[in-house]
Amino acid sequence: MASILRQFAKTLIAPTARNAVALNAVRFKSTEPAEVKETRPTVRKADIAARAQLKDFGKYCADCLPKYIQKVQITAGDELELLIAPEGILPVLQFLKDHHNAQFSNLVDIAGVDVPCRTNRFEIVYNILSLRFNSRIRVKTYTDELTPIDSCNDVYKAANWYEREIWDMYGVFFANHPDLRRILTDYGFEGHPFRKDFPLSGYVEVRYDDERKRVVCEPLELAQEFRKFELEAPWEQFPNFRGANPASEEVDIKKTQK
Amino acid sequence: MLRFTVSKVLNGAKNGPKTLTVLTRWQSDQAKKPEKIEVFIDDKSVMVEPGTTVLQAAALVGVEIPRFCYHERLAVAGNCRMCLVEVEKSPKPVAACAMPVMKGWRVKTDSEMTRKAREGVMEFLLVNHPLDCPICDQGGECDLQDQSMAFGSDRSRFVDNDFSGKRAVEDKDIGPLIKTTMTRCIHCTRCIRFASEVAGVDDLGTTGRGSDMQVGTYIEKLFLSELSGNIIDLCPVGALTSKPYSFTARPWEIRKVDSIDVLDAVGSNIVVSTRTGEVLRIMPRINEEINEEWLSDKSRFAYDGLKRQRLVTPMLRDSSGELKPVDWEAALLTVGKQIKNAGDKIGAVAGGFADAELLISVKDLLNRLGSENLCTEHVFPMDGSGTDLRSSYLLNNKIAGAEEADLVLLVGTNPRLEAPLLNSRLRKAYIHKELEVAMIGPEVDLRYEYEHLGADPNVLKNIASGSHAFAKKLKSAKRPLIIVGSDTLERPDGAAILASVQALASSASPQEKSWKVLNVLHKVASQVAALDIGYTPGVEKIRNGNLKVVFLLGADEGAITKEDLPKDCFVIYQGHHGDRGALLADAVLPGAAYTEKQATYVNTEGRAQQTLVAVTPPGRAREDWKIVRALSEVVGEKLPYDNLDEIRDRLEQVAPHLTRYGRAENANYFKQAAALAKSANLDSTPLDVKIKELKDFYMTDSISRASPTMAKCVQAALKQKEAKC
Amino acid sequence: MSQAAKTAARQVKPILSLNKEEARKRVLNLYKAWHRQLPYIVKQYDIPKNIPQCREKLREEFTKYNNIQDVRVVDMLIIKGQMELKEVVEVWKQKGHIMTYFKESQEPKPKDFISKFLAGVN
Repeated sequence: MASILRQFAKTLIAPTARNAVALNAVRFKSTEPAEVKETRPTVRKADIAARAQLKDFGKYCADCLPKYIQKVQITAGDELELLIAPEGILPVLQFLKDHHNAQFSNLVDIAGVDVPCRTNRFEIVYNILSLRFNSRIRVKTYTDELTPIDSCNDVYKAANWYEREIWDMYGVFFANHPDLRRILTDYGFEGHPFRKDFPLSGYVEVRYDDERKRVVCEPLELAQEFRKFELEAPWEQFPNFRGANPASEEVDIKKTQK
Repeated sequence: MLRFTVSKVLNGAKNGPKTLTVLTRWQSDQAKKPEKIEVFIDDKSVMVEPGTTVLQAAALVGVEIPRFCYHERLAVAGNCRMCLVEVEKSPKPVAACAMPVMKGWRVKTDSEMTRKAREGVMEFLLVNHPLDCPICDQGGECDLQDQSMAFGSDRSRFVDNDFSGKRAVEDKDIGPLIKTTMTRCIHCTRCIRFASEVAGVDDLGTTGRGSDMQVGTYIEKLFLSELSGNIIDLCPVGALTSKPYSFTARPWEIRKVDSIDVLDAVGSNIVVSTRTGEVLRIMPRINEEINEEWLSDKSRFAYDGLKRQRLVTPMLRDSSGELKPVDWEAALLTVGKQIKNAGDKIGAVAGGFADAELLISVKDLLNRLGSENLCTEHVFPMDGSGTDLRSSYLLNNKIAGAEEADLVLLVGTNPRLEAPLLNSRLRKAYIHKELEVAMIGPEVDLRYEYEHLGADPNVLKNIASGSHAFAKKLKSAKRPLIIVGSDTLERPDGAAILASVQALASSASPQEKSWKVLNVLHKVASQVAALDIGYTPGVEKIRNGNLKVVFLLGADEGAITKEDLPKDCFVIYQGHHGDRGALLADAVLPGAAYTEKQATYVNTEGRAQQTLVAVTPPGRAREDWKIVRALSEVVGEKLPYDNLDEIRDRLEQVAPHLTRYGRAENANYFKQAAALAKSANLDSTPLDVKIKELKDFYMTDSISRASPTMAKCVQAALKQKEAKC
Repeated sequence: MSQAAKTAARQVKPILSLNKEEARKRVLNLYKAWHRQLPYIVKQYDIPKNIPQCREKLREEFTKYNNIQDVRVVDMLIIKGQMELKEVVEVWKQKGHIMTYFKESQEPKPKDFISKFLAGVN
């Protein structure tokens, strides 16, 4: 993959001399000084070479699609994430799928994340895989309860059921989806269970009614107290002495002056 | 702590060297504000007073230094070495808890040297600590666990499992409350320091040196103190754990609810731990104005009484004279009919656990029926100003104020067992501030020395007239306190005693204007609220009223008996325990205990506090004021409140301080109360208190009487007493 | 465009309808579709209700949302309503699912103090 990326750089350097200087500068910055080696036994050691390549690729993507890519970041040491605007889902995914030097032709999964405190409370996460280059990228976008998201069913056929799942679990509407209906919940089920404001126990319970000889649905009444566990780590009481890795590291994608 | 007492003995009580005190808290208000010095904690500058330890200075900038032996409320021992930190230009790391900072010191709390020192200390501690966390009750809330997670090494060098093995220490039997697993002990000596400094029971100590060191009671002996449970909280490891709580739950699976203790009139703040509708344990919650972070044993361990002998369903006495369970509808209708028939021939007696909401709803109901027969079980003299002026029945100078006193006169009270946390304050002042204590009443053991002035109440008169030697001391005292026990005021001549105490109090001349000399110490949680709301203390009205219906609100102390009431009197008992009161009853209405309702209690200082719902009431029991509210509808005198907010509004109308939670409103009109008091002749029968010894302390009310743990404590106290004789 | 005006008229992506009139048409269409389907529902699912009762229920289910003004929320409800209708028409649902609308096994919650007290609910 590294050689490919270098080729990218070369083709891009070609056009004008002015650009070449700027891009060289970018490349220089990206080749970082030797990083601190991870010595802690319980922390996964990131692949530093792969990480540098992914950073370069992330910058390249940001250069190619400056309108849509808002942020590029590396998480968990060596995983590339592209944070894009919701309008850009189709172009970005199409680019990543069809670009000769990317070929992320495999949609592994679409996931949703609900963060109720945000204005755009839902994150939609596309995990895509390039079999050609054995590489993975995560594409993230955002939406709220009422803003529809473009279905990427035309780009990836695999998206069909994944988008149905997200519609079912989070209530995010996918525009232009061929067959958007529930996939996991029961017919007549109300609400979207993966939303953070949906109670763990649900709102209704179903039982078989002997009298009526069928299943009836009733508002929930918990016979037993719901068991709640306090999961706050007790050793958080010394926050000053914890050296945790930052969750993500932003890649600098400052637009080069044209 | 030894240091204090030794210095006191050597230098005489009067002018003990106050500079010797190690705790800076004491210093800060005595020294004349010396200049602050600057130190740097992790390169952050902080200005501190001279004498501040490194650990305290670090806390000021928000850096918590790990520690095992250091505790804010105990003397500094400096023996665990966990708090070692690097100080620039010092060749060795220093113990942060014991080392006072010097000007310009640069302390590094997270440097290589500090971390290495911590890791080393941790390793030494763990070599001698068993790996039994899975079966240890402290697991999940263990300081050693948490800190080894944060600071310990990630691998072990201990390989000598087969040859000499780990250190092992025999367990001790120190009573029915505390389970010991001494192998787990890391010798922080917090328990020893607590026992000798706070509890005043010098039973615990260490024997041996090095790896033979053991914490124990020298000879086989029980550690019996009214505050013994606190060493469970203090123990940073699982060496001292709660016996009743052993192997019941893990800290992460329990729910914690902040509440208020009602087993004495102090109103200690507590945390109730519950799981699946069951109270598992009770722990203290920090409140500097009331209980600091301690809790008396009765409050801590009597919770198992909440599961026994509970009233879980309404009951009515049938024709054969037996109480039979019925449903609420039947009970309310029967009781309602009786109340309707009785008209204004109805009275109520409030017991020790009645909350303010219940008291106000019963008062409203009875007033609507035209009755004023509202009494409390415990007597308080009504002559003179009676209960009209709050100052005559409150602990006016507050519990925390007791620490500041320089002279205390106890009149017919045993604070050690009636209000252990007030006594711990007095003891603290006695040790650190040379408080002098005198006592009129029985000669009881308070765990500090006091001048016994005899048990004759006439001593009060003598002091007031100046003929007693103590009068001079009282006159010259800068911050004198007089604490009167409620037992004393229940005597027939209670009014006279109160009058002479009021006179005595107004004759004292405290230095500050706001200092309150007169203090009354109650024994039950409901009394102050009942008097605030307007209940009449004592049951005279009930005895003489020729009543048709009597409403007992958890009145279990036997103030009313069947003989006191007319033959056809219908007795309703509303409460949570099937105790003495329920036996009299013709109808039983099951109420909620203090862990099961959101209710207001006013402590002996006049501080309103509220309990919160930790578990639901068992069976068909209901929140108390709701029962009265439902009953009022059946009787046809519907009370105008349907929910907690509305009844709290009503409380506020009657007495606004009842809903100002956490605040103690100052009472006033001492002079007027003293002027109104009629001076009467004092009996010469000696003053007495009901709770004299530890064995009387454990079972005083319906909850603690139902508690098996408390029964075991009484047994242990008796056994210990016999062994001594 | 001033800041205030911007927040007042935030540009949003429409779900289906561009304006209220269009949304109203869609609602009416959905209502009519359900209405036409009712006789078949009663027959196919063999429910112990007659057509007028079902019509009343249908009306109730629609009027439940009659205070909603936001076009996008209306659209979302239309989508869900269509989904339900499809589940019904295709007989993916079962009898129990249909009867859930009628809530016949639920007892009304106690409202006044005394019945709440007797039932032991807060």
